[in-house]
Parts: sequence; C-alpha cells; structure tokens
Amino acid sequence: MVSARFSDQLVALLPRLRRFARGLSGSAAEADDLVQAACERALAREHQFQEGTRFDSWMFRIVQTIWIDQIRARDVRKEEGEIAEERQGSDEPVRRVEARLALAEVRRAVEHLPPDQRATLMLVTVDGLSYKEAAEVAQVPVGTIMSRLARARAALQLQLGAGAGLRGSAKDAEAH
Amino acid sequence: MQKRIDDTLIAYLDGELDADERRLVEEWLQSDPAAQERMAGLAATASLVRSAYDDVLNEPVPERLIAAARGATAGGAEIVPFKAKAKPGIGVARRWLGLPAAAALAGLLVGGGAGYYGGGFLGGSPQKAIETVADNNWLDNAAGDYKLLVSAGDTAMIDVPATGDTREALQKISQTLPQVRLPNLKPWGLNFHGARLVVLQGRPAAQLVYTTDNKAIGPLGLIIGSSKQPDLQPTFGRRQDVNLLYWRHQGRSYVLAGQTDIGYLWGIANDVAWQLDAI
Repeated sequence: MVSARFSDQLVALLPRLRRFARGLSGSAAEADDLVQAACERALAREHQFQEGTRFDSWMFRIVQTIWIDQIRARDVRKEEGEIAEERQGSDEPVRRVEARLALAEVRRAVEHLPPDQRATLMLVTVDGLSYKEAAEVAQVPVGTIMSRLARARAALQLQLGAGAGLRGSAKDAEAH
Repeated sequence: MQKRIDDTLIAYLDGELDADERRLVEEWLQSDPAAQERMAGLAATASLVRSAYDDVLNEPVPERLIAAARGATAGGAEIVPFKAKAKPGIGVARRWLGLPAAAALAGLLVGGGAGYYGGGFLGGSPQKAIETVADNNWLDNAAGDYKLLVSAGDTAMIDVPATGDTREALQKISQTLPQVRLPNLKPWGLNFHGARLVVLQGRPAAQLVYTTDNKAIGPLGLIIGSSKQPDLQPTFGRRQDVNLLYWRHQGRSYVLAGQTDIGYLWGIANDVAWQLDAI
C-alpha cells in the first residue's frame, strides 16, 4: 500500500523529473516513458527511501539508473545512428524552424555531450543540486562531478560559440 | 592550470565555495579582465542551459504520469488540459484540475495559460478554495509589497542581502520570525536575492525575494508570516496586476506573489509547501 504522502511528494516532483529526463534522453516521449518507469520503480521500493534524506535526489538517482540501464542494454552506437537518421528524416521541417531558435540549439548541444556529463550538467546547472548531492545521485566522488561539469561546460562553450574568453579553457578542458 | 582556474570559477558560479574562497575569487575577478570575461562566458552558458529546459516545468504533466505516481494505471499519454473539468469523485489528483477552472470562472485569474496541476496539497471542494474578496485588504498589501519591490529595482528594498551565503540571511530573518527556513527554488531557475521584513495582517513577516534572468518568470516574492486564523488551502488571487497564491497552515501565512503564469506559481507553491512542511 503506497502512502498518500509518498505519492504526493512524487506528484509534486513530476515537473522536475520530466525536465531532468528530457535533458538525459533529448526526447519528450522518451523522457516521459523514463519518468513513468521511475515512478513505478519508486512506488515498488518506497520502503527503501530513508526519511530525512532528500526525496528529489533519491528520485533523480532512480531516473538516472533506469536511463543508464537502457543505454547499456542497447547497442549504443547503432541506436544513436538510427535515432539521428530517423530524426533528420521525419522531422526535417520542424528541425529547420527549431534551428533558428537559440534554445533549441542549446538542447541539441547538450544532447551531444557524453551521458555522464549530460546527467551532471542537468543535476547541477539545471536542477541546482550541490556537488555533494549530485555526487550522491551519480554515486561518484565530488571531484568527478567537478571534472564532468568543467568538461561539459567547455564542450558547450565550443559548440555554442559563446564567450570568446572561454575558448582557450575549453580546449584545455578537452585535453584532460 | 587552465582547467584548475575553470574549476574554481565554475565552483564559484555554482555557490560551492566557502566565504573565504569566494572573497579571494571576487578580488581576483576585480583585478583580472580576462578572468571576468571567462566568468561571463561561463555564466552565460549556464544561464542558456537552464533556460533551454525551463519550459518543461510549465508544460502540463501527462495524466499517465500522475496516475503512475499515484500507483494507478492510465491508458495512453493523455495530456491534462488547463481548463479540464474535473468529474466528481475521481480522486485527489483530479481535484487539482477543478480549482484553476473554478477560480478562472470566478474571475480571480488572469493570463493563466497551461501549467502544472498535477496534484499535491489541495483538498476539499473548489468552491471552498476560493476566498471571497471581502476583508482581503491584506492581499492588497501583499501585492503592494511585491510591486514596491519591483519598482524599486535590484537591491534598493532589500533588508537582508543574500551575499552568496543564504545561511547568513536565514539567521538574520529567523531573529524576527523564528524557525523560518529558506526554500531552495534553484530548481525553478530562481535564485535567492535577499529578504525584507514586512508587516502582514499586523504581524511581522519575512518577504523572501527570488530573481531570475528570465523576465517572464521573475522576480518572485514569498511572504511568510504568522497568523491566528484557521488553516486555508492554497487559493489564487489577483491584486493590482499581481498574481497571488496564498494559504495558511498551522499558524503561519504564506503568500507567493509574482507576475508570472499562475501555473508556474502553482508548481512553485507546491514545492515551497513541501520544503517547509507547510501542507
């Protein structure tokens, strides 16, 4: 029996979970599937949530774990190639319009980041988690979070072409 | 070396440095134009990334996800429309749908638009949730406080600046209003800017101010005060072109004020209520 309080917390968190999942998957439909799977898993494992700890971090970890499981289960290279082809083929008119929008460009740039950097960027930069909290979600050391963030931001800087002063540092970051 | 510099600047932007480290970085930035430029680039990128995903927060949540979160099943991926009419007796999640629709009918809402009405701290009938406008002068005061803040610009009205250390601001506020906690609204793209001490219904209250680069959303004011009146479920109101969402819980009043979409306010209020255990 799921407690009403637990469900209420979960419902309240849905917009942020959807945003996080959107950043990970790059697709609205896939993101919602991911969130739905995470909700189902959370309800099944309600007893594992420790009161007094952050509920949002716990849910982000579930979303990220499911997402990682999914991309590991695929033949990643093949899958990404297929997805890219499908998108270009079916959504070309929409894509052309979107290409004019700076924010769509940003989302595409985020999609091109490696999965671990993308997840870290979403947790810290978009969702405002501290490095320590993000490290707990990703189950890596804080130093790794810092490193992933620096690489992600440097890569975005290069792709988006913003902030000339960063270009040097972006190259340096890539080299590490 | 360059990577280490970037790490430091990024940690500064993310609020991960302690007070001494922050001071050192600020001194360095003041004397190094190249570092300033680098910092500006990093800040711009971070702001762009946040903006790129903010719209998701304003999208209606698909009903199938609400059902999944409630442990129920729902067919397909139906989208919950803003003014969907709730059928009686279909559960807590649907009660959220009734309130905005009823409030809109009562003329209390302007510029609602699509938003998040997924579920949370509402109970009872929509009719009860809509407070009459009689003897609601205090709401005008709350709206006035917000407008005063906006018209004064930036930091002119702030009593307690955030100064990068929200704990410090919190301590100062708490001296006036014990046990006020500071809601973290960064996930909504809102940064704590500072606090003002105001009077609400004849009692001292804290007006917490949150800002964002996105003019469509911020600034946002959250007034937390004490009250002897009975609990009131979250209720929409609009005064002086300011959207308000207010409720009372266990001797405390809450008023969220802003000029943003009411759906966005609704989602934030839900988050605030959870963080402060004010449900």
